[in-house]
Amino acid sequence: MGSVCCTQQHRRADSDEIEQTAEIEDRIERESKAEEHIQKLLLLGSSDSGKSTIFKQIKLLFQNGFDDAELKNYIPVIHANIYQTIKILFDGSKELSQSFSDRSRFHVSDENKEIGERLSEIGSRLEFPYLTSEIADEIETLWQDSAIQETLSCCNKLQVPDCAHYYIENLQRLSNPGYIPTKEDVLYARVQTTGVVEIQFSPVRENKRSGEVYRLFDVGGQRNEKRKWIHLFEGVTAVIFCAAINEYDQTLLENETNRLMETKELFEWVLKQPCFEKTSFMLFLNKFDLFEEKVLKVPLNVCEWFQDYQPASSGKQEIEHAYEFVKKKFEELYFRSTSPDCVDRVFKIYRTNALDQKLVKKTFKLVHETLRRRNLFEAGLL
Amino acid sequence: MPMFQPSKKNGFLGGGDGRVLDLDTAVKDGVLGGVGGGGLGTGVLEKLDLNKMIEELNLSTVPSVFICPISLEPMTDPVTLCTGQTYEKSNILKWLGMGHYTCPTTMQELWDDMLTPNNTLYQLICTWFSQQYVQMKKRSENAQGRASELLSTLKRVKGQARIQTLKELQQLVSNHSTARTAVVDEGGVALLSSLLGPFTSYAVGSEVIATLVNLTLCSESKANLMQPSKVSAVVDVLNEGSIDAKLNCVRLIETLMDDKGFRAESISSHSLLVALMRLIRDKRHPNGHLPGLALLKSISIHNELRTLILNIGAAPQLVELVPFLNPECIELALFTLEALSSTSQGKQALKDCPKTIPTMVKLLMRISEICIAHALSILLSVCKLAPEECSLVAVEAGIAAKLLLVIQSGCNQILKQQAAELLKLCSLNYSDTMFLSKCKLTRTIH
Repeated sequence: MGSVCCTQQHRRADSDEIEQTAEIEDRIERESKAEEHIQKLLLLGSSDSGKSTIFKQIKLLFQNGFDDAELKNYIPVIHANIYQTIKILFDGSKELSQSFSDRSRFHVSDENKEIGERLSEIGSRLEFPYLTSEIADEIETLWQDSAIQETLSCCNKLQVPDCAHYYIENLQRLSNPGYIPTKEDVLYARVQTTGVVEIQFSPVRENKRSGEVYRLFDVGGQRNEKRKWIHLFEGVTAVIFCAAINEYDQTLLENETNRLMETKELFEWVLKQPCFEKTSFMLFLNKFDLFEEKVLKVPLNVCEWFQDYQPASSGKQEIEHAYEFVKKKFEELYFRSTSPDCVDRVFKIYRTNALDQKLVKKTFKLVHETLRRRNLFEAGLL
Repeated sequence: MPMFQPSKKNGFLGGGDGRVLDLDTAVKDGVLGGVGGGGLGTGVLEKLDLNKMIEELNLSTVPSVFICPISLEPMTDPVTLCTGQTYEKSNILKWLGMGHYTCPTTMQELWDDMLTPNNTLYQLICTWFSQQYVQMKKRSENAQGRASELLSTLKRVKGQARIQTLKELQQLVSNHSTARTAVVDEGGVALLSSLLGPFTSYAVGSEVIATLVNLTLCSESKANLMQPSKVSAVVDVLNEGSIDAKLNCVRLIETLMDDKGFRAESISSHSLLVALMRLIRDKRHPNGHLPGLALLKSISIHNELRTLILNIGAAPQLVELVPFLNPECIELALFTLEALSSTSQGKQALKDCPKTIPTMVKLLMRISEICIAHALSILLSVCKLAPEECSLVAVEAGIAAKLLLVIQSGCNQILKQQAAELLKLCSLNYSDTMFLSKCKLTRTIH
């Protein structure tokens, strides 16, 4: 009797299981089909190239942006950035005062020295105290010191983050007790990306959502074992490669390599990967605003890739000329690193400033249009 | 009574070829007793005008009763035979002058050689054409006005509205010369050029280019369009566009190059050449080959750009393409290849491509003297680079017999000398008898 009941129970359990398995398989099939329609975009580039800023911009433009809680999450990051900046500058001034012949330039005044030492100590901790108005005032004082300003002008030797000016200018606001970061504050926040982050979005076109769905991936930019995981991104619709063109006179954190040369190497490497044979490449020549400021003061030839550059004019025309030169170099590099059978993949260059939301929106619209046309072309409709 | 329908409508009533006359409508439209009305006094003037109008209008929808059965052209001096058939006077006179004594359409023998001027038909023809002319003039003027309107709209709008405006402007400009003049006179070229830049979408870019190719561009406009960001926009359309858009880009670039102030540097772009080669090799759209090759030829004239052309691997691609092209295209391709072969990098690239020598040998004595000249020059360049290796290949491909044909043919002296030189070069590695055996004509005549 008992055993019959057991068998019956077993059979019921079996059929339940079968039903469940069928349901799961069904779901897998449906979701895989849905997956196929999602176009995947991969953000690549060396560290500090602006990838994560682009990522944040897309979030702001096409998703619901950041809610209050997410914004508040950025406060520690922003404060950390400030502490780090002032520490780098203060330590830098000490270093420079030892290595330069006219060391008086980099001598911080005595009153400020004490502030400097204290802030430097804070900056070296793992956890930072909340930025209060008092500390903010001290930072401001130290910043005004001529030695610090001198150090700032030599900043290509140091690793001063680009957000320095912006945050120092807004110190008062940022140190308010009830401070909630604005969108712009968040865009400037510099934190090293680890791992992979992704968002899914649908581009909005003239206030109407279009049918395409994109999934954007941002991978960390430091020089770790790229070759091990890059092939996981095979089948990606497009690679958005960010190159910060203002870093032609800067060196890496880890060693003395010129940053732009590092970017060049990385770009070459990515282009040659077999998994990207059919992938479209969108090259974002980023940080154009900083490039504009720098190129008239620091000649391009300091970077060995650009050593054959000849300035042609001055002012705005010269900036354009320099930009075209850099663009051509990248184009040359692209075609050199592309095998004949990959020549048909889409390759476009865009001039961007990742912090400018309007610009990013315009740029992305163009990227979207290109990808759509590419789809139509591949479907034989064009 | 036969019915006439104004040209706008499409229906064909009654038999065969169409347009017939509805008296009521004709009276209403003023076709009868309208513009061309009058006696003989105005006859001569009307005739001149009539000829001019017919030519200017160049309509394909002329009512069939106005057409001379002999020439199939509208009649300017209709005369009727005794059979009742009407012809253009000069044509029927020619017919009769050739000794024929029949009516061309009915084949009846003529019992009377009188040619009666068909005044009624003449009046109708004049009136109809005058009407058409007046309508066309009105449309042109409208076109001019509309073009002005569109230009001012263009300054204000963005997005979809901008694209629609551009589309309409492009249509106007391609159909009406008055619109073209209006656009050029009112600074439309500068306005259109300003729409090209780093953020130009495909939709806007392709329409702007399609419009610009129809306009006469002054030197200043051309220089303006040669700015790097604008050239980039054109190259983008050349890369991604439909075949028509690509052809417009090619035309535009040709126009821009055709200027005293042109600097080769402004088009030294890898993307441009890659896109151009893609157009030239696109088997789906053969109508792109000729314009593409013509542009490539124009580009290869500039020394500085030859390296770029070679860098993108165009030389072997062109060589492989040659056997599939029509004669006109072959001439253009060969010009480019010869231009490339004048550089050492070009010579090397051509030598490295295994198909160069056989293809060039095949082209000797075919197509035209120009082709022979190009082919000879290329062969000389390549063979001089590596005489032993290349002469082997060349001889195996049957060059000997071909060169003999050239020397014996009616080509000019220089070619014959070149052929002789090449022959000598190729024969150096062979003994006389062996070489003679390679000259067997049977191997090379297809």
